[in-house]
Amino acid sequence: MFAIGPAARSDVRGQGDPRLDYILQCQGCHLADASGAEAVGVPRMEGVVGRFLQVEGGRAYLVQVPGVAQAPLDDAAVAELLNWMLLRFSAAELPEPFEPYRAEEVARHRSRTPIDVVATREALLERLERLED
Amino acid sequence: MSAIDRWADRVTRSLARRTSRRGVLGRIGAVLLGAAATPLLPVSRAGAGIPNGRDVPPTTTGNPDDPGNPRSCDYWRYCGIDGFLCSCCGGSASSCPPGTEMGPITWLGTCQNPADEKHYIIRYNDCCGKFACKRCFCNRNEREEPKYRPQKNNEIHWCLGTKSTAYTCSIAAVVGVALERDDAGGS
Repeated sequence: MFAIGPAARSDVRGQGDPRLDYILQCQGCHLADASGAEAVGVPRMEGVVGRFLQVEGGRAYLVQVPGVAQAPLDDAAVAELLNWMLLRFSAAELPEPFEPYRAEEVARHRSRTPIDVVATREALLERLERLED
Repeated sequence: MSAIDRWADRVTRSLARRTSRRGVLGRIGAVLLGAAATPLLPVSRAGAGIPNGRDVPPTTTGNPDDPGNPRSCDYWRYCGIDGFLCSCCGGSASSCPPGTEMGPITWLGTCQNPADEKHYIIRYNDCCGKFACKRCFCNRNEREEPKYRPQKNNEIHWCLGTKSTAYTCSIAAVVGVALERDDAGGS
């Protein structure tokens, strides 16, 4: 068999390569085109995720949602991953001008994740609905 | 006493003289046991003939860049697998057996290909909709992480979003190259 060194303890990390981080950390459930699987509670991000930046709290939420906050990636890699995802899957929904995430901002939001993520999400979706009215 | 009663009395007494109670019970028991065991025989023989798939004939991909036997747990792509190999169950290392449906969501990991020593991204999907295949059970778990990181966990039942949630077997499909060089681990 091939050698199993310390590298085998954890996955290859795509630190600095957000596309690879997306595949390894997100794609399993959100799928390659970010269409998600609504039937099993995986929300669609394609054409949607950028809208969160249009409302107060949305920018923090994209960092604090457990899949992002708990990903085995450092703050700089999370910032790159979010920027890549937003531009790749939801560029049309981004506010103008789009201010990219940076590691310091990710660290700040990540250190204060909400206890009730579902309620936070629902409040944001309500705010988004009001935007449309 | 009627004629029928007298006849029944005679037959019963004669039977009692010729046989012991234990003998009758023994014979009834033998018949019952035989009846119960007969339908089990082919099933248990099938199971015993394929101990963990060791009698499943080996196969190859036919591609020297993708070496090994996809019907063996040692095959390089199975480094994080946990389940029955679809390649032993009528499917292949990357396709489901006929009559089953691939679960759309799953986890992904990386495995090193011994042919070129590159690390490849592997998608471990479950095939769903028939009884558990029970052949070629493998549980390697390399680079697998606890359930609190579901995107890295292979113990989750990934038959989610399929018509049937019955687990049949697992595949390991190559998604792409993760790393050209052997310096996996990153920071």
